[in-house]
Amino acid sequence: MADQRGNDVALLLAAQSHLGTKNCTAHMERYVHKRRSDGIFVFNLGRTYEKLQLAARVIVAIENPQDVVAISARPYGQRGVLKFATYTGARATVGRHTPGAFTNQLQKGFEEPRLLIVTDPRTDHQAIKEAAYMNIPVIAFTDTDSDLAGIDIAIPANNKGKHSIGVLFYLLTRLVLQARGTVSAASPWDVMVDMFFYREPEEAKEEAAPEAEAAAEYVADAAFPGAEEGAGFDASYNTGFPAAAPEFATGFDAAPSFEPAAAPAAGGDAAFAQAQDFGGGF
Amino acid sequence: MYIKGTGKHDSCCSLLLRLVDVRRLAWHGKIKSLEQIFLFSLPIKEYQIVDTFLGSALKDEVMKIMPVQKQTRAGQRTRFKAFVVVGDYNGHVGLGVKCAKEVATAIRGAIILAKMAIVPVRRGYWGNKIGPVHTVPGKVTGTCGSVSVRLIPAPRGAGIVAARTPKKVLQMAGIVDCYTSSRGTTRTLGNTVKATYAALAATYGFLTPELWKETVFQKGPFQEFTDFLAKPVIKGH
Repeated sequence: MADQRGNDVALLLAAQSHLGTKNCTAHMERYVHKRRSDGIFVFNLGRTYEKLQLAARVIVAIENPQDVVAISARPYGQRGVLKFATYTGARATVGRHTPGAFTNQLQKGFEEPRLLIVTDPRTDHQAIKEAAYMNIPVIAFTDTDSDLAGIDIAIPANNKGKHSIGVLFYLLTRLVLQARGTVSAASPWDVMVDMFFYREPEEAKEEAAPEAEAAAEYVADAAFPGAEEGAGFDASYNTGFPAAAPEFATGFDAAPSFEPAAAPAAGGDAAFAQAQDFGGGF
Repeated sequence: MYIKGTGKHDSCCSLLLRLVDVRRLAWHGKIKSLEQIFLFSLPIKEYQIVDTFLGSALKDEVMKIMPVQKQTRAGQRTRFKAFVVVGDYNGHVGLGVKCAKEVATAIRGAIILAKMAIVPVRRGYWGNKIGPVHTVPGKVTGTCGSVSVRLIPAPRGAGIVAARTPKKVLQMAGIVDCYTSSRGTTRTLGNTVKATYAALAATYGFLTPELWKETVFQKGPFQEFTDFLAKPVIKGH
């Protein structure tokens, strides 16, 4: 137990999640350890971890995992949010949050989530504002300069760096799966943190090139039921893997270890939903 | 997507592709009364929800039709603003304001908005707690613009001592006896009626000794019926 906490905090440190910004809001002062000589506020990661655990418990308390929506307008958080959604069975909104998605029932993208997870209160402020109209509690990763208005559970951490955001979503996902019992000492979670990191488009393309051929062969395998239509898309749907953008092809290599993690309650549906949302993103 | 109904027929709601969860629960009888919706502060986004619970008991009254104008190079463009109060004379009121090119459309729209803005009104006693509740539980006040309307508990038999417009609203709320005191430019009917509505809404926001007992929290309808809501929406439901 304590060992895991120590490892996780070490991971947060490595990802520089403890580094805030040069400004600090009054509400965030309680999470700050001290201010460095160069003016940067430093978080107390012990408190960060506590809030992560609290958030995980709240997420688990929602009976239907599909009622949880994770949001990230900024690119750095998009991959983390999508992965979180795939592994926990939640829904992800990536990129622009269409105003009215929570309040306008006549809109096509109308959703009524029971919980909202947000990467940055400032950039995702539209989602937070609408959640307030519809009685939806909000969990957010808040930095030292974040405004906590409309946020119910704040997880103090660096929400600017791509490694930091990746690690935060990784830990949150794992804590949720642990609380659910899907992951435990007996069946450890063998997904790497790297899966949650944002990748620059060039990076993603580079890695995709060799994998794309592997993916093509994988897909051509007649064993997959219903692989009639578009190659990558349909195969990924059936196997419960996230959408077939090149980067996810990496997962195909680690296929055996992926199965347990990628098969939570609404796994298939979640993957399909991800595929939908994915259209605009990468 | 959404096909507009005439508003008169209930069947129009069956054409809505996306029904708000509260509506689904109400329609299927999972939510037993409006008070459950009020208890959990669920936003009412579709007026049919209110109709399901209050239906025929709900009466509406047009308080005023106000012509408003906008200047265009070709003259004035007149629209009509309708103020409608909706109530069941037994503890529920709603106020709706709608502006439209035709009077009838404005009234219809205002009725819908009034239903969605329905609010529970707490009633109490002036003195002895004999018989049914009849007056406001305490002195409450509501403001809108410059108008402030103060409602004061009155003894049984006093009737509603108020000007025409607030009186109508109070009657529809189910208040039998009440003293009032108002201030500001009360001839702006819009503000007066909104102030009275605000005062009535405030009755349940007031902490009295009866409410001192600790609340036992129950599961909200979204949590209780999460399995039902998780089922895909069949067209018309």
